[in-house]
Amino acid sequence: MENKNTDKGGSNRRNFLKLGFMSSVSAVAGASLFSNFSIKDEEADEPGEKIRMLSPDGKIVEVDAKNINKYPEALITPEESRIGIPNRKFVMVIDLARCKNARKCVEGCQKGHNLDYNEEFIKVQLLQDNPEASPYWLPKPCFHCDEPPCVTVCPTGATFKRDDGIVLVDNDRCIGCKFCMTSCPYSARIFNWGHKEKFDDKSQPYSPETSLPAAEGTVMKCDFCPDLLRQGKLPYCAQSCPMGVIYFGDKNEDIVTNGTETVSFSKLIKERGGYRHLEHLGTKPNVYYLPAVNRQFPLDRGFTKGAEINERFKDVPYVQDLKEQGKI
Amino acid sequence: MNLENRKRELAKEFSPMLEKTTKASKIWMGFLIAVILVGVYAFFVQLFKGHIVTGMRDNVVWGIYIINFIFFVCLSYSGAFISGILHFIHTPWKNSVSRIVEIITVLSLIIGPIFILLCIGRLDRLHYLFMYPRIQSPITWDIIAIMTDLVGCFIYLFLTFIPDFAILRDNSENAAKWRQKAYKFFAIGYQDTASQREKLHKITGTMSAMVIALAIVAYSVLAWIFSLTVQPGWDSSIFGPYFIIAGIYSGMAVIIISMYLIRKYYHLESYIRKVHFKGAGIILLVVSMLYGYFTFSEYFTRWFSHKIHDTDLLDTLFTRYFWMFIFANYIGVLVPIVILFFKKFRTIKSITFAAVVAVVCLWFNRYLIVVPTLETPYLPIQDTRADFIHYTATWVEWSLSLTGVAAFILFFILIMKLVPIIPMSGIIDHEREQLRHKKSIK
Amino acid sequence: MKSIKYKYSIITSLLIAFLINFNGFSQELDASNYKMRLSLSSSKQDDNSRILEVSFIGQNKEDRKDKLPVFDAQIKFYNQDNLLGEAKTSNEGIAQFTIPDGQNYITDADGYINFSAKFEGSDAIDEDDDDIQIKDLFLELNLTEVDTVKTVLVRGFTKDSMGVETPLEGVTVSVSIGGMFSKMKMEEVIIEDGEFEFEFPTDIPGDVNGDLTVYATVQNSDDYGTVVKSESVNWGVFEKNMASEDNQLWSAAAPIWMYVVLSILLLGVWANYLYTVIFLFRIKKEGKEIEAEETVLSTD
Repeated sequence: MENKNTDKGGSNRRNFLKLGFMSSVSAVAGASLFSNFSIKDEEADEPGEKIRMLSPDGKIVEVDAKNINKYPEALITPEESRIGIPNRKFVMVIDLARCKNARKCVEGCQKGHNLDYNEEFIKVQLLQDNPEASPYWLPKPCFHCDEPPCVTVCPTGATFKRDDGIVLVDNDRCIGCKFCMTSCPYSARIFNWGHKEKFDDKSQPYSPETSLPAAEGTVMKCDFCPDLLRQGKLPYCAQSCPMGVIYFGDKNEDIVTNGTETVSFSKLIKERGGYRHLEHLGTKPNVYYLPAVNRQFPLDRGFTKGAEINERFKDVPYVQDLKEQGKI
Repeated sequence: MNLENRKRELAKEFSPMLEKTTKASKIWMGFLIAVILVGVYAFFVQLFKGHIVTGMRDNVVWGIYIINFIFFVCLSYSGAFISGILHFIHTPWKNSVSRIVEIITVLSLIIGPIFILLCIGRLDRLHYLFMYPRIQSPITWDIIAIMTDLVGCFIYLFLTFIPDFAILRDNSENAAKWRQKAYKFFAIGYQDTASQREKLHKITGTMSAMVIALAIVAYSVLAWIFSLTVQPGWDSSIFGPYFIIAGIYSGMAVIIISMYLIRKYYHLESYIRKVHFKGAGIILLVVSMLYGYFTFSEYFTRWFSHKIHDTDLLDTLFTRYFWMFIFANYIGVLVPIVILFFKKFRTIKSITFAAVVAVVCLWFNRYLIVVPTLETPYLPIQDTRADFIHYTATWVEWSLSLTGVAAFILFFILIMKLVPIIPMSGIIDHEREQLRHKKSIK
Repeated sequence: MKSIKYKYSIITSLLIAFLINFNGFSQELDASNYKMRLSLSSSKQDDNSRILEVSFIGQNKEDRKDKLPVFDAQIKFYNQDNLLGEAKTSNEGIAQFTIPDGQNYITDADGYINFSAKFEGSDAIDEDDDDIQIKDLFLELNLTEVDTVKTVLVRGFTKDSMGVETPLEGVTVSVSIGGMFSKMKMEEVIIEDGEFEFEFPTDIPGDVNGDLTVYATVQNSDDYGTVVKSESVNWGVFEKNMASEDNQLWSAAAPIWMYVVLSILLLGVWANYLYTVIFLFRIKKEGKEIEAEETVLSTD
């Protein structure tokens, strides 16, 4: 009798232990799996920019950077976007003496406008005016000309010049005839040739001021970021430049800033010999360039962005010399 | 002569051409329809996949479609010009070719704008051109001009059809029922009375003058789409006249080719005679010399003043496009001149050959106007993707080009089944004139 | 018995292993790798209110460039031991607390106000605090026209308990103008004797009405924190651009002559078409009449 009891008690205890063991293992395994999955979820969320923060109880949290932009709450519709920000005349000054082809302006703009790698609203070109001259890096956004040939030829009024000087494209109106692209002498515009998934992103309503989302079969270009300007922030390119190359401001109040230095626009142009590109074509651009004198960096520092980028400049005589010398 | 009998004779002579379709003709039409269907398929590929299937990219944004558009519209221009001129000349031989010329005018004006539609990125928004037009834009002028020109040429063509429809209506008891109904409807009660004839003559006269003027305006506007921009190679003051001359040149060549083909395959040797080819050949000669002169002026002035961007453009033309340049601007000018200059060389076949050379060379001339300028912009293209640096047309674009040509030929054949290609009323008018002339001499 | 003990040891060792493992999962993801820095600053505004700002940021012990802001942390603001208020840090790790004008502060013997900010601490993050000693600085900005010369006069002083003013010495004061995105510096001087003045330039446009805002700023001084004073004045020489922007090639409305020419041309052409069509209808009518006559004749 006793043996049976102890036996039964022994098997009961065994069963109980087994049960406890199983449940605790599964609980722990489940918890760790769950935490594993939840971390994985956050990582696999979207390829968008994440901001990492520390919570008060010591956990690291990632938040979608896009949630921080308040613009969609103050949406400017396509009709409203034809009227500019009142009493402003936006102007940009680019200091070629400081540019070293860091391409942070290109990347900042691409991030801000959800552009692919090859879509560039602001392009950085390498120009050599004559065989004796030193080549220089030229960041080239849309110049938002005061007498824009692109606006003149648009048959539907999809691209328009506002009173604050900004030339925008209304993706809802553009029929994709590409006449504006053929008439821009600065090759500032790009076209959406095929369908891309990002066009279907309806998370924020379309505004010509954000140029998001883009549309297939329409033209797009640098828009001077009016959505940021309305919040008192500088455009993405000006914010991103580590050398302070891009100054932006209002010609009416005669002040331009690159984020750290704020100077008088007219004094800057007069003292540094500011000029506009292809002035003789009569387009009256609103982007001024300060000549590449007393350069802050030697030119060769700019060829460190990879072979593919260097390959773009293969027709510049200086680059051909560098290739011969084996430096690139 | 008995008018009614003569009309019956003519109707009898031309009806078989309208009503019967030979086996060879059927096979040919089947082939054309096959080409058109491939093009329709290519169109849907482009519609669903987007313009990425073409060779156009961010720098060369206008390619084969625009080239075909300019090419076809310039055919139409010369058609309008020649038919307008012919209306005012009173020669015995103008009658045989006048309808061919008018049909070419209308058909190419229908086919041409279809190519523009192929180039538009958002076809679903086409109506915006009419809802929100901007009249400062040369494209808006072009739309207005081409639509007006099309309506005008159509009306003019119809006016010339009316007397023939009247003859057919009165003399086709054996024809199919739908034909008889069609003839009756289109003849709008024309009974060839003196007063009707006079009215018709009056409005045809004003329309033909209008059509000439319209064609000049329409084609200048098309030229201005290019020359009102600042781009090197397009920024030229003579683009308007240059396009008009090139238009007459290519149009004349197409007229000669059509005359040859129609004469051969419809056995109309008695109507389309050597004198027609000789006359057309003379016009082609004169225009080819003018065309050569304009082309030379264009390129010579650019080369001589050697501005940087002109020099870059000429470099592209003489390196990458060297053979195309030689073909379009040397062979295309010199071969027709040599053939047509010497009386000995002027046979029907050789004149037609000169015309073929002229047409093909003119197409390449259009290519050389549109594409190289876009490949050499003011600020250099600094890109690594080959398709963004140079333009290469894809099968979609070629197939749609061939479809345009096939559609042109097919519609031509179909119209020839509706109306006789040699205006019967013209023959009758001419004979009536001769009779009156004889009577007055007597 | 032995087997049960064996099982027990297996179970416990596995559990311990799992627990260690569990901890190991979050090893890269907590605060222990970061050293917290809490810093307090004071900024006196134009309306004499004072903003106490705390920045609470963790810096990675190994990678000094990796900085994580602490968000939603409760920060308490004190003047000496007097609790002024609480605020939570934002997503950028910044907590701000505004003290309105007229607050009576507890000052020490030299007239300095002691401000401190404290983070109570949590399980993972230690308690942290920072304190600063600020003297209340008064800045006056006078914009007057002296003999038609626009002059900017800046005065700085501190007041003691009886209201006696002591002029400011040896502190950098900058005067700037407000722009759309930032302020443009006009003058920056180390103030002596409590005041300085300079001539205002005559080529600043200001806004569309000629108004501008002038700021006098003491930035991040050890004794006074940040002090800002601003004044609006209508000294801008704004020149409105008189060029007409309408009826150009690139504006929404076209030049008038284009409308005129287009209308004339189109009217001319389409009137002609209408004329032609009318005549066609007349021909048709005549044809009908003749047909009617013929039928009448044939029936006769």
